[in-house]
Amino acid sequence: MEKLDRLGWAAGLAFESYGVRIGVRVNDATILPRLASHFPPGWRALTKPRVERLYSLVVASEGATRRGVKGLNLVYGDINRLARTRQSEDAFDAFESDLQLYVAEAARRRVFVHAGVVGWRGRAVIIAGRSFTGKTTLVAELVRAGATYYSDEYAVLDARGRVHPFPRPLGVRTTDASDTVTGTTRRQQRVAVESLGGRAGARPLVPALVVLSEYRAGARRWRPRTLTAGHGLLALVANTVTIRSRPAEAFAALQAVATRARILSGVRGEAKDLAATILRMVEDHQD
Amino acid sequence: MEQRIRNDRPRARAGGLVVRELPEEVLVYDLERHRAICLNHTAALVWKHCDGETSVAEISRRLGAHLRLPVAEDVVWLALDQLARDHLLEGKIARPAAFSGISRRELMRRLGVAAAVALPLVTSVVAPTAAEAASCLPTGAACTAPAECCSGLCPGSPNGTCV
Repeated sequence: MEKLDRLGWAAGLAFESYGVRIGVRVNDATILPRLASHFPPGWRALTKPRVERLYSLVVASEGATRRGVKGLNLVYGDINRLARTRQSEDAFDAFESDLQLYVAEAARRRVFVHAGVVGWRGRAVIIAGRSFTGKTTLVAELVRAGATYYSDEYAVLDARGRVHPFPRPLGVRTTDASDTVTGTTRRQQRVAVESLGGRAGARPLVPALVVLSEYRAGARRWRPRTLTAGHGLLALVANTVTIRSRPAEAFAALQAVATRARILSGVRGEAKDLAATILRMVEDHQD
Repeated sequence: MEQRIRNDRPRARAGGLVVRELPEEVLVYDLERHRAICLNHTAALVWKHCDGETSVAEISRRLGAHLRLPVAEDVVWLALDQLARDHLLEGKIARPAAFSGISRRELMRRLGVAAAVALPLVTSVVAPTAAEAASCLPTGAACTAPAECCSGLCPGSPNGTCV
């Protein structure tokens, strides 16, 4: 850390997110406002600089790039180098990715499940699944159908199984053919929920429905099967960030979800064909 | 030295587990192996009776009384097999020859659909690490396997960088 400390740091900031204290320092003060757009939603600045994790970002100067000097952007989490990139946006994405995971793991009294979430008529729909299962697409479609946006990344649960908002801008993936020789790199483009005609929720919601679905092109009707509470809980375990570090706490929160919500699993086709069905199911659901 | 228990008096493992009871199932988290395990009603009842004192025949009788069905010892041995596979019993158990080699499918066929719902079922998943449970890594991030990257590309793995 001492070596890093000796580098010239132009600006820094300490903030809190879900009870986790984070520090950030940069070699160029002008990038700090841009960087702040990558902080988790609901962050607030701290006056005292004592933090649990310190990020250090070295961003290549535009002058160096113009002169043809190999300008690289570096991201460190404490003393570990997390990324080394040519594009500053890639460095910011790497920072955001690690920061979100750190907050998810270290958050006090909250259990983070990798899932999208929307609210409908005062109840939550949790769309659990790994990357590339089409969570964000389905969340966006539900928002377009009138649901309130809660998250496209994490279902943040309290001990009673209620879902709290994590309303970062939706990360819509696009193919960027110019970035690699293969042309298969999928970049995330941030989309504000307002641009979809929706709004973000603020109050915690009790979940009514958990959808475990994977998109498959060409799949016709969605014919999900209802899982038992136990098997539904196992499926949620597979997407829970803190299951290894805090299993008892995670189990309690997941149990509260699994015993109150209907848990559906099955391959789905296009999200737009599904949104109305999901919202109708929420209306039909009784505790 | 590995502990051996009396074959017909199984004992449930108690240490290193987080146990949560659901209305019809029991959820267990194995703190040593980082596995989450779901016991259906029958498997949970068998596990509950594994106190190191009660014989398999007695467990089968108690199970039958609880389910209001005649329960063959085969059913209990099947449950014990599954519980042992997921390390939920102390020591090792071995079925007596008369009960060996009977699978869940065979029992289902033998007992019929109505009684098959009472068959034990133990299901488990490996708990993911925090990184496995989270989203993919962006361009420039250090990666150990292609699946970790949003692009699906991790040249130089296991010490690679997402492109």
